[in-house]
Amino acid sequence: MIHKKYFLLYVIPLVLTAVMGIACKKLLPADRDSFSLEARFTQTIYKPVLGRTTLMTKNFDAQSSSLPLTFRILNPRNSEGQIAPELIKPFDVQVWKKAYTGTEQSLEEIEAKRAIEKHPLFEIREHSGEFILWSAANNSTLKSLPDSGYTFDVEVTNNGGRRFFNNMQLQPFKERAYEPNSMDPLTGANANSPIRPNIMMGMKGERTSSDLSANDVNVYMNRIGDGNSITFRFLDTLSRPMDPSKFNLTKWDKLVHGFKMEKTSTYVKYEVAYPIPLVELPTAYTTVDGRQAFVGFTYERLGFGGIKETAGMAFNFSIYQKGAWEVVFWFNRDNPKFANE
Amino acid sequence: MKQLFKFLMLLFLVITTRNVAYAQKVINVQGTVLEKSTNQGLPGVNIAMGNPLKTVGTTNGKGVFSINVPDNAELTFSYIGFQVQKIKLNNRNMLRVVLYESNNDLKAVVVVGYTPKVKEVSTGATTTISGKSLQDVPVANVLELLQGKVAGLNIQNNTGSPGARGSIFVRGLSNIDIQGSGSDAFLTPTSPLFVIDGVPLDANSNYEYGFSQGGPGISPLSLIPPEDVEEVTVLKDAQATSLYGSQGAYGVILITTKRGKSKTPIIQYTTNFFVNTPPKLKQVIGGKGERDQRLWQILNYDKSIYEARKRIDGDPFLADSLNAFYNNSTDWQNVFFRTTYNQSHNINASGGDQKFNYKVNVGYYDEKGIVENTGLKRYSLGMNVLYQPNDKFRLFSNVSSALGVSKKGSGNGIQQGGVASGSSASSLLPPPSLFGNSSDANGVLIVDNNNKTANIKTNLEARYQFLNSLAVTSVVNYDYNTGTEDTFKPAILSNNSSDLYAYNDRKSTLYNRNMINYTETFNSFHNLSFFVFNEMYIRNYQAQVINQARTPNDQYQGPLGFNGLNSKGGVLNSYSDSRSAAIAASLSYNFDKKYIIDLSYRLDGVSSSGPDVPWSKNPSVGLRWNFNKEKFLSKLKWLDYGSLRGSWGKNIVPVGTVFDAFGAYNFSGAYNGSQAIGINFDKLPNTTLTPTITTQFNAGIDFGLLDGKYQLTFDTYYKMVDNQLRSKALADHNGFGSVKTNEVSLVNYGYEMSLTVRPLAKESKVNWTVSFNGAINKDVLTKLPDAVRQILQKDVNTGQSILYRLGRNSLSNVLYNTKGIYANSEAVAVDPVTGLKYRTTNAGNTVFFQGGDPYWADLNGDYILDERDQVIAGNSFPQITGGISSFFSFKNYSLNVNMSYTLKRDILNNALAERFQNFSNPQEQNNLVPINNYAFWKTSGNVAAYPNPYDFLRYSSYLPYRLDQTLFQEDGSYLKINTVTVAYTFDRKFAQRLGITSMRVYCTGNNLYTFTNYSGPDPENVTDLGRDNSKGYPSRRSYSLGLNVQF
Repeated sequence: MIHKKYFLLYVIPLVLTAVMGIACKKLLPADRDSFSLEARFTQTIYKPVLGRTTLMTKNFDAQSSSLPLTFRILNPRNSEGQIAPELIKPFDVQVWKKAYTGTEQSLEEIEAKRAIEKHPLFEIREHSGEFILWSAANNSTLKSLPDSGYTFDVEVTNNGGRRFFNNMQLQPFKERAYEPNSMDPLTGANANSPIRPNIMMGMKGERTSSDLSANDVNVYMNRIGDGNSITFRFLDTLSRPMDPSKFNLTKWDKLVHGFKMEKTSTYVKYEVAYPIPLVELPTAYTTVDGRQAFVGFTYERLGFGGIKETAGMAFNFSIYQKGAWEVVFWFNRDNPKFANE
Repeated sequence: MKQLFKFLMLLFLVITTRNVAYAQKVINVQGTVLEKSTNQGLPGVNIAMGNPLKTVGTTNGKGVFSINVPDNAELTFSYIGFQVQKIKLNNRNMLRVVLYESNNDLKAVVVVGYTPKVKEVSTGATTTISGKSLQDVPVANVLELLQGKVAGLNIQNNTGSPGARGSIFVRGLSNIDIQGSGSDAFLTPTSPLFVIDGVPLDANSNYEYGFSQGGPGISPLSLIPPEDVEEVTVLKDAQATSLYGSQGAYGVILITTKRGKSKTPIIQYTTNFFVNTPPKLKQVIGGKGERDQRLWQILNYDKSIYEARKRIDGDPFLADSLNAFYNNSTDWQNVFFRTTYNQSHNINASGGDQKFNYKVNVGYYDEKGIVENTGLKRYSLGMNVLYQPNDKFRLFSNVSSALGVSKKGSGNGIQQGGVASGSSASSLLPPPSLFGNSSDANGVLIVDNNNKTANIKTNLEARYQFLNSLAVTSVVNYDYNTGTEDTFKPAILSNNSSDLYAYNDRKSTLYNRNMINYTETFNSFHNLSFFVFNEMYIRNYQAQVINQARTPNDQYQGPLGFNGLNSKGGVLNSYSDSRSAAIAASLSYNFDKKYIIDLSYRLDGVSSSGPDVPWSKNPSVGLRWNFNKEKFLSKLKWLDYGSLRGSWGKNIVPVGTVFDAFGAYNFSGAYNGSQAIGINFDKLPNTTLTPTITTQFNAGIDFGLLDGKYQLTFDTYYKMVDNQLRSKALADHNGFGSVKTNEVSLVNYGYEMSLTVRPLAKESKVNWTVSFNGAINKDVLTKLPDAVRQILQKDVNTGQSILYRLGRNSLSNVLYNTKGIYANSEAVAVDPVTGLKYRTTNAGNTVFFQGGDPYWADLNGDYILDERDQVIAGNSFPQITGGISSFFSFKNYSLNVNMSYTLKRDILNNALAERFQNFSNPQEQNNLVPINNYAFWKTSGNVAAYPNPYDFLRYSSYLPYRLDQTLFQEDGSYLKINTVTVAYTFDRKFAQRLGITSMRVYCTGNNLYTFTNYSGPDPENVTDLGRDNSKGYPSRRSYSLGLNVQF
């Protein structure tokens, strides 16, 4: 009797509750992510340039899918349809660990902010779907255009669904170590058409007294060896070195974010970190948008009638490959007039 | 009550059929019958003797009786709600009888589905609250006092505006639709159906928290004087509400007013004097302190000292030292908030016996709001009459009317935007005057606003029992409500352009029910009750507005001379004319009150249903087993009663309008010089539109132990709310703009428990009852339109979007996940690819995060903060609610404490965020609140809880104090001491010396204290969506002194 009483009082309601609880929960939908079938990559063929760390952004439209999604590259294969191990194999790549500010005081300080890590050359960011091609990918490691490049699939998942985006393509352009240049993006052949400075301001020819225009200056960017330096040289019409000091208003210490300036009568040389610019960030050494390095060479002289004239030229450039680089300005028609009237 | 009549009727029958003569000596016995808890006389107590029982008398209005009975008789004193008391006379002729309140829940009578039933044989989940516990606290809206009293009834008194009502949910959420945006966003109200003395009242329509349209903003519930309430019954499950089917899906609350029950007329006068005080106001930095703070911020955070000086010198607000108000300090909150003194009076006159009884209740209630220029006055008159000349015919009628007069100031029923913006003005500004530049403030103070709501309810119920077991009942009632709002804004408030706004609406409900009832008992064990009824509603609503701009002057406010171009008026498009009709049948059978089965079925047609699906079918089943009546348990002395219940059923609530189902024709421009009527292409008619349907399973157990010492009720339920109305935008090639469909479903499941303990022995002089109740409710969204898994409802004003997602709680916030505050700039993550710091862009400006900025999780790992990084966080719907109450009485004193609690609820503390936001521009003329007690970031290396509020130059680019972040999502759990009442009942002798029957004084504190970890002002004073915006009307604290005299 006692047992029966307890049974009735406690067990029945408990069992009822438990049964109801379990039975009812089964009817409810699971709390799963939404996965929109209309989610898609807005770009399926990627054509970055080798030798440069490239981040390919804004390439995925998730529609109404729950975020974050998880992305994975699958089956990278080359133009012959074979598995392409070069895309999967980890390489040493240079990654940023701390933020570059443009105010670092030494090369070591800059290098301390970067580190070498092992990464596949071509990666997808796990949750944003952005692609990365590291600068370690060069002409010798990856196939580049005009080869039709690499084909790969991307698996996109969240816990509500999964979708494969097949046959996406990576068709890298050949390395172009510096900008601006006149290389053909497909073949890499250099047309050698001259590079001009971006701004010419008030410079007059020594011989003709006419205004010098951008067409009167050729710029050459040469990699002269391994190293960590950049050298600026100025050549007169006869290709004789000019003394950089003649650009007497130039702030040589702020010209590039370089250190250990070596200034002689024929060149100015800095120790710098590559690539130039290091980061797409507006600093004292870059253009306003921060995309390219900006160098300006200015001087002043007394002009006709004793008027002070300020003149100079400026050049925006990027260099992606590490090395000992030389930037040469050759005045092809007339030398600038530095002397007072 | 009705059970009593039935009982008496039966007695009457018995008495007339059997005349047994007694030959004992007859003596006159006198005495009083007292109520145990109050020590007051009980009028109308039935006194009977003999076997079978025969009524020999009743007590009068003072509880006194005088009867002639045999000297050795055994008298039986019985009264509804009290335990039967048997006393042997043994030659005594003076008696003092104390009746104990019935501790057996199951003997109480509940009206379920229009017919009274003893709770013992009702299969649904119901809870009854006696009106007594609601009458010692003066409030405008009696529902406020039900908070925490009924398990599963979640009441949040989220506005302090007199006459407005808070939100009421029975067993969780019933609609996920949100209207409005920003701080005005509100959940479509789904409060239960109220039935007041048999007159149904829909508290949802035309009272959408006072936001969405004009109108007086007085809830119809505020027109019921609490003093007149006899009891409130909450019907929760589908079986209990089944016969209220066409309205009952959100639950039903029955309010019964008092009836006459004493042969001698009783006149009862109740008055309250009460003081309302505003809650603790926020501290504000005033005067010079405020200016110094602004200067400090500019000097420290501008680009350079030169820029800073320029900024200061260019701003006379900060630099003009010759200004007469240079060191002014205005206490703005004091301008708006006040302590008020209020009163209420109520006279209740009643009398009569079971053949004829009557009641008249006259009430006056005057509450001035704690915000200037707001308040509510209520005048009410209610009466009812019951006439039962013989046991075959019964006529009951009641009429109640009420007039509410309210002032809303410059706000609407709930929000006080003018006060919020006015009281957040800089203390450096001069106080409000017509010549100052503070129109918001003046608006609050001098806008002439007057609102009235008048309501009349009439009800006539006739019953004729033409056979012993067959009766016909017919009920007709009519409810008419009219509201007006008159607002005049003087010209000086808005650029010399006055504004007159006159609104009026009228709403009527005609209701009729005709019922045939068959009740029979076979073989004294099989009790059968069967009834069929039809029911219909006719509802009308229409509102008009006249809005005249630029009246000739402030004295002549129209009707002529206004500017016709800027004025408008006409009938508002909220008009409606709806019908519903139903036919229903119900069968109840019980075997010796041991095994009970209830079946019901109803067919409902509502005019807002689509023509293809005009009828909804609503069946219900209820089962009950009173196991204490089983032989093997009936011997147990410690078990008073015990039963198991189970029910399943369907209910509906009509949603949408007839236009949603049938479409509309409208004026569509002129064609060939004549006006043309064409199809309204805004809305595609949906011919399959149905009402919202709830399907509910309920299982419960009730038991009482040890002679009333412990009483426990436990219920568990699973409630599906299907076919919710939601507007769906259509692609533009469809021709129509949108369509309303029934494609949203959700499920609520949960547990409810209420426990009553009387820890002291019955004979103890101290009477102490403690009740505890609690409910856990979980809601899960189960269906969305077009079978999608989730919908993000973006909020353009605050960014605090809401996510509807299947399988999850219905209302989830979508916010930036604040993981902390960057101690210094080095702590900010750097993109290994680009070398750039974590950054964000707002309005074209990109900023990199730095020390003192909030660390918002970068969900997708792209080192850019944007809306793709928002996470689903929190649940704004309370998950656990309940209350604790204690009643304690000793001799003439009593102490009554009520508490309520809400647990597991997330609140977005916009009020706090806005405090910090006020520092975002030191030149803006808003108020500054001391923030020193918040751990915000000050210098590099600080480990802080809040970001740096001072960096005003970068502020707009990264919005560190944005509202849509988890930093301001807080736990809104609270335990509130709702009311504490101390009462003293004067000795009868003392009272009688004053010529009155009884007198009682009491002192009540209302909304006394809230225990919470929430950092905002009041965790309850937030919207249903859990947004604590500073525009809400704060809840007052009130202290009252009351007197209750009975003549």
